[in-house]
Amino acid sequence: MAATVRAKGYAHWDGRPVDRRFPWWPITRMGIQLAFRKKRFKLAFAMSFAPAFVFLAGLYISERLEDFQAFFRGSDRLLNITPDYFKIYLTNDSLHFLIVLVLAFAGAGLVADDLKHNSLQLYFARPLRKKDYLLGKMSVVAFFVLIVTALPGLVLLLFKLVFAGSFKFFLDYPWLPLSILGYAALLTVFFAFYILLLSSLSKNSRYVTILVFMTFFFSSILHGILYGIFRLPALALVSIPANLQQTGASLFGQKLPHAFPAVWSFLVLAAACAVSGLVINRKIRSVEVVK
Amino acid sequence: MTAKQSIAAFGASASQVFAFYFILGRKSAKTRVFALLGLVPVVLAVVVRIVMRGRAEDVMAVFTEILMVLFLQFYIVILSLFFGTSIVAEEIEGRTLPYLITRPLTKPGIIVGKFGAYALLMALMVTVNLALSYFIMNGYRLGEASLYLTFLRYAGVLGLGVLAYTAFFVFLGAVLKRAILVGLVFGFGWENVIQYFPGSTQKFSLVHYLKSLLPYRPAPGGKSTLSLLLFRLEPTTPAVSILTLAAVTAVLLALACWIFRAKEYLFEE
Amino acid sequence: MSAVIRAENLSKWYGNVLGLSEVTLEIENGVTGLLGPNGAGKSTFMKLVTGQMKPNIGSVTVGGRRAWNDPALFAKIGFCPEPDAFYEDVTGWEFLTGLLRLQGFCRAEAAERAARALDIVDLAKDKDRLIRGYSRGMRQRVKFAQAIAHDPEIIVLDEPLSGLDPLSKRKLIKLIKDFRSEGRTVLVSSHVLPEIEALTSRIVLIHQGKILAQGDIPYVRELIEAHPHVISIRSSDPRRLAAGFIGDAAVRKLTFDPDGKTLVIETHKRDAFFGRLTGAVLEAGVLVDEITSPDDNLQAVFDYLVGK
Repeated sequence: MAATVRAKGYAHWDGRPVDRRFPWWPITRMGIQLAFRKKRFKLAFAMSFAPAFVFLAGLYISERLEDFQAFFRGSDRLLNITPDYFKIYLTNDSLHFLIVLVLAFAGAGLVADDLKHNSLQLYFARPLRKKDYLLGKMSVVAFFVLIVTALPGLVLLLFKLVFAGSFKFFLDYPWLPLSILGYAALLTVFFAFYILLLSSLSKNSRYVTILVFMTFFFSSILHGILYGIFRLPALALVSIPANLQQTGASLFGQKLPHAFPAVWSFLVLAAACAVSGLVINRKIRSVEVVK
Repeated sequence: MTAKQSIAAFGASASQVFAFYFILGRKSAKTRVFALLGLVPVVLAVVVRIVMRGRAEDVMAVFTEILMVLFLQFYIVILSLFFGTSIVAEEIEGRTLPYLITRPLTKPGIIVGKFGAYALLMALMVTVNLALSYFIMNGYRLGEASLYLTFLRYAGVLGLGVLAYTAFFVFLGAVLKRAILVGLVFGFGWENVIQYFPGSTQKFSLVHYLKSLLPYRPAPGGKSTLSLLLFRLEPTTPAVSILTLAAVTAVLLALACWIFRAKEYLFEE
Repeated sequence: MSAVIRAENLSKWYGNVLGLSEVTLEIENGVTGLLGPNGAGKSTFMKLVTGQMKPNIGSVTVGGRRAWNDPALFAKIGFCPEPDAFYEDVTGWEFLTGLLRLQGFCRAEAAERAARALDIVDLAKDKDRLIRGYSRGMRQRVKFAQAIAHDPEIIVLDEPLSGLDPLSKRKLIKLIKDFRSEGRTVLVSSHVLPEIEALTSRIVLIHQGKILAQGDIPYVRELIEAHPHVISIRSSDPRRLAAGFIGDAAVRKLTFDPDGKTLVIETHKRDAFFGRLTGAVLEAGVLVDEITSPDDNLQAVFDYLVGK
């Protein structure tokens, strides 16, 4: 009998390649793990929950106002919990600052480090498409944005119900969880494009870190200056934080902070994402062209 | 080696490093990006000039309270943060440190030489953009001598700011592996918040001393609503401000030199 | 001859990772090869020699002076680092002249020396191209050029031949050998054994931070008593030739290759064996086609010493 291939020491693999449903997941997992390996990141990450604790304390006090009368005389309005309270938590400047700080740590090197080490070709030498690569990287951003926005937002809502001991608040505002999730999703999408765009512009992650901060805060300063000169509310459209606050107020059904339709801010953010997407698509190539 | 020889070696090292890094810094693409960023106030100056045509008395207020915010609290901080932390970090990240520290150069000379080169580059970028925006806005009174004295004072304030902030960020870069994030928290967190605290608290920020040196003050009870820069400022006297900024620069730079001399910098594998 | 580089009880660790352990070593004029696998401690030793790091224990002196924080010493040292790292935004010319200015040369002198060094490494015609556009071999050559451009007395080269094409490699090897005749001290590291073999016969074997052996290759070879030399002799009648060695005390084992033409001899005393070989061949009256010593190279020495 003729020897089988196996008997000669070779073995044909008879299996079928597994069609991984989430080929981007290893990239995401690695990105998250790498962020937590940075010593100071853990501090920044922990700090990003500070506003949530402050707002949690506010919730508690609002339910126990009689115990705190001496401290909050005449401040009932401040602690009258409405959807506005949740909007303030998610759109306040300090939370934006902390999100940017966390993403500067965790996101600046997402593409920049791959460009620096010329490792894009290593990704694309595997059964991985460009969209899987991008999805993997964006999911790292999504993980961190959602964990400091959606998670505390929903937990705060839960604590509100626990402290109140009834579902009245939920029944009064049944759409509130959707608003929290909707705004967190908007932040996620915007920051995913924003971080990936800036990370793909340089091989130097230190420079990208500066760009992440610079662009965010410069847009805000520019808005302040232009408003100071022209006094036109629509100039808030040049500011990233202002657009986020405008869309946030709209999603929570609250009074808009700037006197123009919220849809303009939605459009500006969408346009920024679209342009970012185009640039990222051009920058992410499996072959580095040396000029 | 005698003290005299040590000083001579330090001076020679600093001047050689200065010349090398001034050329390197000038050629860097990142320098061009930051120089372009400095054109934003120039563009704004053109806009202000057009919008405020005929309202000459408001121009100075707008310059101090709007454009100087951009220069003082954003532009020089970002520039100093990037270039200051670069002084040590770029050599570590780029693994080029051996080219420097295996030359007959003293380590303090390397720090001071690079500091000088980058500070001069930044000062040039700031001064050119400041001059353009200032003279565009004040183009209608170019014949007044006081205009030039005020400009020199603005340029001096920004120059001192560049030196002090850069020294601080060089020090951070010499101490920490990832100085940039701590620097960002300092530059845009601490400096932004603490300056508006009352009393002596605001004196724990560098920007307080810089603002104390600004030539223009809004009239008390004036109708200006654009007073972000001078909001809650309880100024320190110019002499004390200059001395404080000079001392901060000297001490932090000396500390950075001392740390760089004593510390081993290892590349990450 | 007095030692130029002297390490005494030198130890260096990174956190809890040992880089170098109790190394005592003297390096004299001429070319010395530092050989060991990746992570053996070669670069750590070179960084200590060039004052980039300070020892945790022990001392290292160059020309009698401690290297750490002694900038004046670096006028005499040329160092070619191992990482492929450069100031990418400058041309090869600017890179070299800039570093020569840092060395303390005036503009004209720096230009003259840079031109000479670039010429030596065949980069004269590419001197005005940005380094970021250089090929791997060109980058390696310009890195080498900066180490020699100031005519240092002591040249420390960390993996200088990696990434070079065979032609450039050969040229660089010749250049390094020439330094020996100029009376300079060259310390060169590599983990590629034939490269070191081509450069020098004086080697230091380093592994896991320790010096395993040092000296000339034959001397090091003699140290390995437990691992005899293997010599293959292909001849017209290997069995007749073998008969002449049966009573030889230097021979430990005689075997025949399956081809029936090759006698494989194991000996502890290499020199004694080769001293007798010619006579034995004549006595046996056989025709010898080939004599090879497959393990008479650094790979064998190294494998034996690290216990492979």
